[in-house]
Amino acid sequence: MLYCHTINSLSFKSQDCFQFLLGFTTPPNNNSVKPHFSCPAFTTQYCLAGKCDYDLVVIGGGSGGLACSKEAAQLGQKVAVLDYVEPSAKGKTRWGLGGTCVNVGCIPKKLMHQAALLGAAVKDARKYGWQIPGTVCHDWTTMAEAIQNHVKSLNWGHRVQLQDKKVKYLNLKGSLVDECTVRGVSKAGKETILTAKNIVIATGGRPKYPTNIPGAMEHGITSDDIFWLKKSPGKTLVVGASYVALECAGFLTGIGLDTTVMVRSIALRGFDRQMAGLVTDYMEAYGTRFAWNSVPKRVDKLSSGALQVTWTDTETGCEHKDCYDSVLWAVGRAPETKTLGLDKLGVQLNEATRKIVVGADESTSVPNIFAFGDISEGRPELTPTAIKAGKLLARRLAGQSTELMNYDNVATTVFTPLEYGCVGLSEEEAERRHGEEGVEVYHAFYRPLEFTVAERDASQCYIKVICERGGDQKILGLHFTGPNAGEVIQGFSLSFQCGATYPQLLQTVGIHPTCAEEVVKTHITKRSGFDPTVTGC
Amino acid sequence: MATLTRLTRSTAPTARFALRLQPFSSFLRHGAVVRRGSTMASGSETTRFDFLVIGGGSGGLAGARRAAELRANTAVIESHKLGGTCVNVGCVPKKVMWNAAVHAEYLHDHGDYGFDAENVKFSWEILKAKRDAYISRLNQIYRNNLDKAKIQTIQGYARFTDEPEPTVEVNGRRFTAPHILIATGGQPSVMSDDEVPGASLGITSDGFFELETLPKRSVVVGAGYIAVEMAGILATLGSKTSLIIRQSGVLRSFDSLISTNCTKELQNNGVDLWKNSQVKCVSKTDRGLEVTIVTKDPEKKNDEKVGTIEGVDCLLWAIGRKPNTSGLNIGSLGVDVDERGHIIVDEFQNTTRSGIYGLGDVCGKALLTPVAIAAGRKLAHRLFEGKKDSKMDYSSIPTVVFSHPPIGTVGLTEDEAIKTNGKENVKIYKTSFTPMYHAITSRRSQCIMKLVCVGKEEKVVGLHMQGLGCDEMLQGFAVAIKMGATKADFDNTVAIHPTSSEEFVTMR
Repeated sequence: MLYCHTINSLSFKSQDCFQFLLGFTTPPNNNSVKPHFSCPAFTTQYCLAGKCDYDLVVIGGGSGGLACSKEAAQLGQKVAVLDYVEPSAKGKTRWGLGGTCVNVGCIPKKLMHQAALLGAAVKDARKYGWQIPGTVCHDWTTMAEAIQNHVKSLNWGHRVQLQDKKVKYLNLKGSLVDECTVRGVSKAGKETILTAKNIVIATGGRPKYPTNIPGAMEHGITSDDIFWLKKSPGKTLVVGASYVALECAGFLTGIGLDTTVMVRSIALRGFDRQMAGLVTDYMEAYGTRFAWNSVPKRVDKLSSGALQVTWTDTETGCEHKDCYDSVLWAVGRAPETKTLGLDKLGVQLNEATRKIVVGADESTSVPNIFAFGDISEGRPELTPTAIKAGKLLARRLAGQSTELMNYDNVATTVFTPLEYGCVGLSEEEAERRHGEEGVEVYHAFYRPLEFTVAERDASQCYIKVICERGGDQKILGLHFTGPNAGEVIQGFSLSFQCGATYPQLLQTVGIHPTCAEEVVKTHITKRSGFDPTVTGC
Repeated sequence: MATLTRLTRSTAPTARFALRLQPFSSFLRHGAVVRRGSTMASGSETTRFDFLVIGGGSGGLAGARRAAELRANTAVIESHKLGGTCVNVGCVPKKVMWNAAVHAEYLHDHGDYGFDAENVKFSWEILKAKRDAYISRLNQIYRNNLDKAKIQTIQGYARFTDEPEPTVEVNGRRFTAPHILIATGGQPSVMSDDEVPGASLGITSDGFFELETLPKRSVVVGAGYIAVEMAGILATLGSKTSLIIRQSGVLRSFDSLISTNCTKELQNNGVDLWKNSQVKCVSKTDRGLEVTIVTKDPEKKNDEKVGTIEGVDCLLWAIGRKPNTSGLNIGSLGVDVDERGHIIVDEFQNTTRSGIYGLGDVCGKALLTPVAIAAGRKLAHRLFEGKKDSKMDYSSIPTVVFSHPPIGTVGLTEDEAIKTNGKENVKIYKTSFTPMYHAITSRRSQCIMKLVCVGKEEKVVGLHMQGLGCDEMLQGFAVAIKMGATKADFDNTVAIHPTSSEEFVTMR
């Protein structure tokens, strides 16, 4: 498959910001695999004797795997990375190098979120004096093609980077033979054997389907498919209330599709409850439907082609039915551990999650085998943590450093229509650890200036700074809903990492008029019961 | 950036007293002490407060309200609308206009993101009506806040009398207090017709906010942030705009990277930039103003070119600001001013006369709303809560310029860092990239970022950026820099993906 790029910028932002090349064309997708030296007795001793093919073989070319392999190569290691995408269950969607983030995660998700924000901006623009005739329609194909082309350019960019950094890229499905041998199988079934001093598993995860709902897999899609649809998904039911579910429902609503989220119990589990409520309140106010306390029962395809979903309201016990053009399952993600041959080698998995049990240094229960990213137990499923952990692991494996990944103080942002950024503890968790009396919460409901002229309701724009009540009032958690939350929260996460206290927040002069300044202006405590609504400048 | 301007007054301030006066009874209701003026032959009464604030702008109001919270009997004297520059002719209406301009940019991108918004027209009239209505609401909110806090609002121009005890006269009535704060702000400087014939045919940023229609042909004069913001808004909203600057770049007090990049971005956005140029004269023709401009070749000093721009319906001077001190009669008070008329204060906002304080734009330092607010509150705590050390820290103040795209900056520029620390002790990290938003748009602008680090520990002393979203990115970084963050702290912070701000914590 050949396609041309019209991109003419110097550098493009991907999760690992690479220098982008001008107007190139991708080569054919069949990777010529060099026959590798293979030997019947692949033993650790063999490798220790310095006769391995590679110093490091990484299975999985996602954010973490790529960062790890490139870092290792830069430190002079001989590195190969294996990446292979099993087509998705329903849509048979496939994609290129770069893993979830680039292909079916962060990147296309944020771009569709941007499209949805522009949908809202059209309405605001009218209030700002822009006269736009008629109703503004959205064309899925235009957006999706542009995003898909961008993703393909990123796939290619990653390959160029691997080549530049002298990392051997193999489009093979990798599995473990022993602690220093990896078997790679091509799409055509051709087998390649590689030996390595160290093996890193970073195969990530894939969306799950429910197992007990008739029609779920036959008729439903997941986040693996949504970004690659050639036609608009139409009226959509999103099942689940994780951030993936809410983000997808948010952008579908924003580009004008009739969208319903079906929630069994609570939304954004693990996040601060109050903030999660604000996020879903805003979505409801801006047109996303919610079916709360509802459990899907079955999905049937009608002769019209529509998908009829039957569900139960768990509060009333009543059964409901409605028809959709698409059903998107966002009920969680499962690690890609099944076909790696881990059991045979005795790599320990968590029995419940089937994720790989790892130490602080990303080591597994088997020497020379390491794992990190979405596949490892107890780690945040986030691109930047995987990238950072991968780089640090590469440095340790190359003997250049002993620094471990610090998984604390990780900030994150949910790109729902009203973005939500946070770092540190939720209010519930802070109270659990420090006691209700040990925590002081400063909060503010603020009105972004951009909402005023646009006459937009701002009742969910909220800031919460959770501090220790005594001593220096060290900040325990910081939460922000509002426009550009992702851009706002990064700097605060840095100050949080530096151990910021509430007085230090206050000592910083605000930037007027911005939303971010409201964070350094919070002064009403929850305890006081005073109205936390910001008035005036 | 925060503050902008104040309404230009063509007549002397004292000649135009405002009309609305507080009924006298309301003073008594609030418990002010009224006594017979002992030193005045006229026999008028002097009303006495604990705290008298001249100027109902950001700084004055913040100081007054905090003082009132601390149980000081307080009054605010304001000659115009409450809220000062920021609310009426500065930050707030400016950002509303900027937001409208950002929509123009979005409308360019709609097609790329799949929306069919076509044949779009812009109505300045609708926008101005909404903006004015919003500002009026804010004025009312400020009024209510003062009333709620039981602070007297005295409408009119303040003038210090010549009495030995500092006393302020407003519309013939006299007021005094042991603590008097001067927070009268500033206003745009103008060229006189002597300096540039026809200069008065132009307007300032104050006049910009009075424009009833979008100018077709604009000429903005100046290279500071106000000029940059005004030119950006006008050009983006569809006015053919020329910017006249004396040297080769705008924002020359900013880090050189920002100065250079912003100059480039203005041109990318279609602003017709006249470098090394000055307006020589302005004349009125039946097709609008004719602006005559002299351009010097920086290499050859005597080589001058004269050009004209015709059909101009908006000539906007944005050549600086001056303090509002004329008419206050501070000369007789023993309050010293600098050569440009700014009130000289120490780090505690004390003027050279005891019991008289100054803060905000009238002092000419860090002309920013949040700075004035913070200084006002700190002063109130010092005067009325006995917090002797309560003072404003003027270091590492973050500022944003609402250019296209916006600029964010805090701390030292590279040149300043080198000057104070020596070149060998300064390390610079830089990056530039296309923000992901532009990945699928035909309209593009780069995001540039720079960290200025000092010493072995690489303490971050300066952070500078221009690009989409930089306005909202800066605040959190400013907290960390104020805390003394090092490059290692930046490196130890996990990125938030996908954002532009993450590039600051992944820089190499």
